[in-house]
Amino acid sequence: MSLRYSSILALALLVAAACAPATTPGASAAPPGASAAPSAGGAANTLVYYADVSDLISLDPAIAYEFSGVLLVHNAYETLVKFEGADLSNIKPALAQSWDIKDAGANWELTFKLKSGGKFASGNAITADDVVYSFQRVIKLNKSPAFLFTDIAQLKAEGVKATDPTTVVISMPKTASPQGFLSILTFTVGGVVDSKEVKAKESGGDSGSGYLLDHSSGSGPYLIDHWTKNSEVQLKANPNYGGTKPALAGVLVKHIPESTNQQFALEKGDADVARNLSPQQVAALQGKSGVATTSGNSLLLVYVGMNAMVKPLDNVNVREALRTAIDYDGIVKDLLKGNAKRVQGIVPAGLAGFNDAAPFQADVAKAQALLKQAGQDKITLELLVPTGPAPGGVAWSDLAAKLQSDWAKIGVTVNIKQTTQAELLTSYRAQKGQLVMILWGPDFPDPDANVGPFTDYKAKSIAFRNGWDDKIADKGREAALITDTTKRSAAYKEITEYVLHNGPYAVLYQPTELFGLRSNVKGFAWNPMGWLDFASITK
Amino acid sequence: MRFVGFVARRLVGIAAVMIGVSVITFAISHLVPADPAIAALGDHASAEQIAAFRSEYHLDRPLPEQYLTYVGGILRGDLGRSIRTRREVVADLAEAFPATLELSLAALLVAIVVGIPSGVWSAVSRGRLPDYLVRVLSLVGGSLPVFWLGLIVIGLGYYQLGWFPGGGRIDLFVPPPPARTGLYVLDSLLAGDIVALASALRHLVLPALTLGYFSTAVIARMTRSSMLEVLGQDYMRTARAKGLQERIVVLRHGLRNALIPTVTIIGLTFGSLLSGAVLTETIFSWPGLGRYATASAVSLDFPAVLGVTLLAAVVYPVANLAVDVAYFWLDPRTQRG
Repeated sequence: MSLRYSSILALALLVAAACAPATTPGASAAPPGASAAPSAGGAANTLVYYADVSDLISLDPAIAYEFSGVLLVHNAYETLVKFEGADLSNIKPALAQSWDIKDAGANWELTFKLKSGGKFASGNAITADDVVYSFQRVIKLNKSPAFLFTDIAQLKAEGVKATDPTTVVISMPKTASPQGFLSILTFTVGGVVDSKEVKAKESGGDSGSGYLLDHSSGSGPYLIDHWTKNSEVQLKANPNYGGTKPALAGVLVKHIPESTNQQFALEKGDADVARNLSPQQVAALQGKSGVATTSGNSLLLVYVGMNAMVKPLDNVNVREALRTAIDYDGIVKDLLKGNAKRVQGIVPAGLAGFNDAAPFQADVAKAQALLKQAGQDKITLELLVPTGPAPGGVAWSDLAAKLQSDWAKIGVTVNIKQTTQAELLTSYRAQKGQLVMILWGPDFPDPDANVGPFTDYKAKSIAFRNGWDDKIADKGREAALITDTTKRSAAYKEITEYVLHNGPYAVLYQPTELFGLRSNVKGFAWNPMGWLDFASITK
Repeated sequence: MRFVGFVARRLVGIAAVMIGVSVITFAISHLVPADPAIAALGDHASAEQIAAFRSEYHLDRPLPEQYLTYVGGILRGDLGRSIRTRREVVADLAEAFPATLELSLAALLVAIVVGIPSGVWSAVSRGRLPDYLVRVLSLVGGSLPVFWLGLIVIGLGYYQLGWFPGGGRIDLFVPPPPARTGLYVLDSLLAGDIVALASALRHLVLPALTLGYFSTAVIARMTRSSMLEVLGQDYMRTARAKGLQERIVVLRHGLRNALIPTVTIIGLTFGSLLSGAVLTETIFSWPGLGRYATASAVSLDFPAVLGVTLLAAVVYPVANLAVDVAYFWLDPRTQRG
């Protein structure tokens, strides 16, 4: 055969291959109208989750601190204690069947008693040594989430001990909050790794972080089957899981950054869940057959920081006037299409210590009176705003324009300066902002995770960035250490009330998260901490 | 010897381009008024964590020292560690580059197979309907924003008609072929895996059409104009006077001569396809260099951005060099210097 004809034949074969219907190993017939991409067979027992997971850097519980990493790690590891469902105020047993907080004089002493018979995915038994190894490993590696142990809980490696195979005793200084530490332990950083397996995989003193980068060694309902960088993560049901077995044998998390693709794939039945849909896309899905939408709470707050070192923002009446003039309802109903809660305090709804007082709403006359009281009639300020979309789906620039127009009504001129978030944070952290619009989410599900940063100047976090050094910080530190939950809630109510009127913040809203689902997907419950339990999902 | 000297001169030129590109990219990257440590560690990082990070990535050293450290690394084949993925940039590039190369080759194939015949057809039908058609489509192809075109193509080819998959390199539940070259089509052929081959080819169609449309338009226009020039030459009249068939006159005497400038354009196009697949890769969830570059730039991941830029700085002149070498053989006049 001449070269010419063989080339034509080769080309014809390629074209034929491209046009042939896609076959999936073990696939059943695809439904009429479905695309050639597989949606059956392997897919029937697998949850296909489309999301932008470009933030994924590691699947190691001691390192993961990004949204995608936390979601995956949460499903592959168990913690000593946990929150159930969306309730973030009652701590429940997990690997630990019971625990006790004891005032041991100079320290707090927390004793955890492990459930018996627990196994890792490897088949190894879960022991107190695994817990000690896991926690000491977090401290030793000192990666992004380690500060929750070392700074917030002020934990030292030698303070974590196994007194017998089922008992872990942790001592921490009296200056740290034991209640806060329990909340931290519900987070992925508290995930318990299989010390025998991880030690065997250690290489060059990396504490096994090279292995755990893209493998799992936990006891959660799923284990990591593979992670193909920039493409997908496949989870597989853990045969040794001690709890209720997952309904689905696998979860495939596909990295699909473009939200239009996510929507198309959901409608075509290729995706079971679309993670990053805009409010407009969710609205467009309403009424379409085969798809459903749902929302979940978040713990984020979108707020404007007012630098109290900059005149006239040092005057409490000016700050109160700016808060009073904002049309919060307009933001929530018109800009966000209801995709947010009107929250004005520094603790989000869903956390213990939430204060539902939301007294401000576009009162121009009152705001003008406050400015008059402060001796101010003409004010010009700069508002720093990030680029891109804000939580809830509205563009940061649209939010900024809304504030500019609200404040113009009381004679305050605002010049909007839009920069990348990293650039904005560089200025903000250096106390160089005047008005700064940005978001905050707590590091762990406890009011102290917000009250500390928002009130404590010395913590060099949000209060510092806004130059606000106020005595209320002392009350915040005291509240963190209260072990009686009723007394603690009362203390936080007093603090949040004070900050509401005196602090350098205008909290604009608490966004909700939106998801597109195939209508046969059941049991999808988003946790405000940024994860969901894949094991409870059926399809 | 003349040829060896020609190639050697070009290689020296490429080295000079790389030095220039590395200096400029390095300077621009470090002039951004944002701290990459904050971009990497986020809003909640403590001052100690930021300081440790800056030290790890030598960001606390003077700029010239950082540059020299970086260049020293390059000479050892080390492009540093990505701030975003925490992996060696070389490993990231090695993973992303084959995906982009495969997509660019497919797009180039579309551009050549469609662009050259369209240009010829347009030229020989000058002033008639086919000519207008090709010219209008070329104009549209040259001016359509890729992002918009990609959404239309995916909306039609995947969402409406369901003929092709909507994104990625291979079907969700088809295992990729064993990696030899990183090009799925080639790897699945080598492995004799027909299922993977079919899936990989189907996934290539829409992104290759999207990415290739602009290049098709450029090649069609270039072929048309050079064909028109050639068609008016004396030797074409002579060929016809010899009684040759019009098809042979056009293809053998006309096209062969008209192709010389087109080859140049193909080389340039290939370089730009490789380095310009950013938007196409984002729309089609194609895990290539373009998407890697976008994600790196957004996260102020300087080592990764520098790595991608240097790779592009190599690929573009190398593609041009390949064209020049082809030109050197194609056109004897260039050999006379």
